[in-house]
Amino acid sequence: MQTGLLNTYQKSVSNRSYIAWVMSGALLTFYVLIYFTDFFTPIAAQLHLGGKWGMYGTLYTIFIVGFGIVFLRRHGQTPYQRLRTLSIMFFQVVFAFALPHVMEMFDTPGYNFAYFWPLNYSAFYPSTIASQPLPFILYSMIGAFILVPVLTFFYGKRWYCSWVCGCGGLAETAGDSFRHLSSKTTKAWRFERYSIHIVLLFAVVTTVIVVTSFIFESRTGDEFSVVYPIFSKIAGPVKGFYGFLVGAILSGVLGVGLYPLMGSRVWCRFFCPLAAFMGLIQKFGRFRITVKDEMCISCGNCSTYCEMGIDVRQYAQNNQDFKRAACVGCGICAHVCPRGVLKLENKWDFASWGDAAGVEHVDV
Amino acid sequence: MHYVIIGNGVAGINAAGSVRMRDSESKITIISSESDHFFSRTALMYVFCGQMSAEDVEPYERDLYARTNYDRVRGRVASVDSGANKLTLTSGEVVSFDSLLIASGSVPFMVDYPGIDLDGVGNFVTWQNLEWLTEQAKTARKAIIVGGGLIGIESLEILHLAGIKTTMVVREDSFWPIAFSKPEGDMITEHVRNHGAEMMLATETDEIVGENGSVTGLKTKDGQTLEADLIIFAIGVIPQTEFLKDSGIELSERGGIIVDEKLATNVPDIWAAGDCTAVVWFNGVRRPEQLWYTGRDQGKVAGFNMLATESERKDYKRKTFYNSAKFFDIEYTTAGYVNFNFDGERDWYQCDSIKETSQRITYMPDGAVIGFNMLGSRWDHRPLVKWVEEKRDIKWVLEHLHEACFDEEFSPKFKVTEPAPALT
Ligand SMILES: Cc1cc2nc3c(=O)[nH]c(=O)nc-3n(C[C@H](O)[C@H](O)[C@H](O)COP(=O)(O)OP(=O)(O)OC[C@H]3O[C@@H](n4cnc5c(N)ncnc54)[C@H](O)[C@@H]3O)c2cc1C
Ligand code: SF4
Ligand code: SF4
Repeated sequence: MQTGLLNTYQKSVSNRSYIAWVMSGALLTFYVLIYFTDFFTPIAAQLHLGGKWGMYGTLYTIFIVGFGIVFLRRHGQTPYQRLRTLSIMFFQVVFAFALPHVMEMFDTPGYNFAYFWPLNYSAFYPSTIASQPLPFILYSMIGAFILVPVLTFFYGKRWYCSWVCGCGGLAETAGDSFRHLSSKTTKAWRFERYSIHIVLLFAVVTTVIVVTSFIFESRTGDEFSVVYPIFSKIAGPVKGFYGFLVGAILSGVLGVGLYPLMGSRVWCRFFCPLAAFMGLIQKFGRFRITVKDEMCISCGNCSTYCEMGIDVRQYAQNNQDFKRAACVGCGICAHVCPRGVLKLENKWDFASWGDAAGVEHVDV
Repeated sequence: MHYVIIGNGVAGINAAGSVRMRDSESKITIISSESDHFFSRTALMYVFCGQMSAEDVEPYERDLYARTNYDRVRGRVASVDSGANKLTLTSGEVVSFDSLLIASGSVPFMVDYPGIDLDGVGNFVTWQNLEWLTEQAKTARKAIIVGGGLIGIESLEILHLAGIKTTMVVREDSFWPIAFSKPEGDMITEHVRNHGAEMMLATETDEIVGENGSVTGLKTKDGQTLEADLIIFAIGVIPQTEFLKDSGIELSERGGIIVDEKLATNVPDIWAAGDCTAVVWFNGVRRPEQLWYTGRDQGKVAGFNMLATESERKDYKRKTFYNSAKFFDIEYTTAGYVNFNFDGERDWYQCDSIKETSQRITYMPDGAVIGFNMLGSRWDHRPLVKWVEEKRDIKWVLEHLHEACFDEEFSPKFKVTEPAPALT
């Protein structure tokens, strides 16, 4: 028995009771206030935390570290869970929080080396580029176009989603009590495949429009700006809309606000463009989950506790190793399986290249 | 055609799937007295502990029956009239069939101890048992588990975790001797005790005592009275075939439905699969295979054969034995035949009492490996089974043993510390 999971369905925080609804309401309100108002600005100033975003970053880091410790007590029995949780705490504290602050002290713009385009959607906006030294800009490009795909190809998107990323960091730690609330239905899975790829497309289009319009504008008077004035006209609104919808509503307000009702990975599963990008690579990469044939007792622990809503049991009881684009490699399915059926592995397997694992939702 | 299946368990549902896959037209009726939806019996303990909800332990989405067009009957079959191809429910309703599969599973084996009918005495096998136990656990303070098997130790664990002072009473002088030698049995006993639960070995039940119709304790053969307001009997399960007594379907001595290698009973058009059958084991003995995966396999084969023509029919092939379980935090994998007491068999054994891991390999005098018993870490039974089937030499197996390790990534490397035996 996983004593850390005992009574999950009896605890009012984690069983969608009215307390969960109240929590969700409070989180939604908090995110609306911080994104769209200056409500927290004076509070942040009083606490000497800089602006409201300084305060937010501090809170965020405290949550990841605090609940990271809780997570370690709950699931830290195996090296994989220990290492990845320490890693996620480290990247939050050092890369997302401390380093940018230190850089600012030395009058360099704060830069998070663990935050890549298109999750960091403004990485290539001309305004960002103008404010950063060249090495950072180069790193942004190498990061997004070489580091991310290569690491994902070799190790799966888990190297980022459950070892490095801040959004994943909060989900894995503060969100751990809600992981079983992710929907395992076929319906949710169909929705996810549309929503996440649409956001990825939207992210690419937004960046392309903003960058193109800048190029055209900088060449005022030549034939391009005459032929395509539309770019300059829509660049502002498109950028603004992306920031509002994806940057604020989906990743913040809903992404965290719905933790107590829909699980901790609402953003990562349905909307994150970087997850979508890495998911596509993951299907062709080495990472997969190996299933021991005919050992599964169909108990459902794996599916229940998969925060990405993957119905792992379906693969396990059909004796199918699988690669799912959504899988963030948290390893919890393998961790909670009482029969040791599952194993996360990086393994060359040319036979199954690009194969989404034979089954999707199979029935007897 | 009308296919009727008694049992909405793993054998029944897999048989239905096997039929539906090749026949989208025929009527398929699944009868169960226990539940509307197929659920995983193996996961009852997790529902008790609030680790999963009722719906979480259902292996398929609830629209399964609508989507695959299975009719469902909630009711208990009272008798089967095999001559007339009809069965009768306890409600009096009659269902006729062209082809019948019996997949009625097991019932707990019970001994008629005095006091066995007292309130607070029960089992942990069915969904109704789960509901009963959940209710009992709200008020129980001291519990006793009688029997030292797999269901027994799961019951011990969940009651202990529910904060009830629980003692397991085991007749033998070490835990689960049909599977474990003394060192492994002792390791598990020790582990359980370290958790704060109690396991009493070499203790036999004499009678159950109570007051005003409710249980108050258990008397042992050596004269002790153990106090308890809840007692779970987990001394094994037997085929649930009472309702077949007068059906003309041939049953074994302990009630198992006698089937041939196609899983057909002695009556034409009546088949059987899962816990309720008695099949011939590798050593020639006929007895039930009370396992999840064998239930699934039997269901698939029986369903296939119900539809197939005589010449297409498949044999149900029993595989080399393997299984897994978990005793509190200690995971267990076995493959092949350990503790089957073959003439001349010997063991290679190593353990790490701090990490609570052990490995036992049984081999024959010529060195051929016949079985593995692995505790405390994860093992891939597939290579282990293969090595048994290939009759690999013990020395070779020890050199390659690490390849069968299935622990999570970053786990410490497995090492063979005990020397390989010298063969004479
Ligand atoms: C607590 C527990 C833990 C277990 N853990 C494991 C494990 O870890 N690994 C493992 O391999 N095995 C395990 N088992 C054993 C495993 O669950 C069984 O082998 C398996 O469920 C058998 O499946 P079945 O389909 O034959 O029967 P069942 O699942 O028992 O299904 C029987 C069905 O028949 C119906 N039925 C029976 N009689 C009638 C009637 N007269 N009228 C109408 N309907 C009827 C019942 O309602 C039920 O739907 C465990 C069992 C228990 C109780
Ligand atoms: S499939 Fe397993 S490893 Fe992947 S996200 Fe789900 S629980 Fe985590
Ligand atoms: S893979 Fe493990 S956790 Fe998942 S259903 Fe099978 S036995 Fe249960």
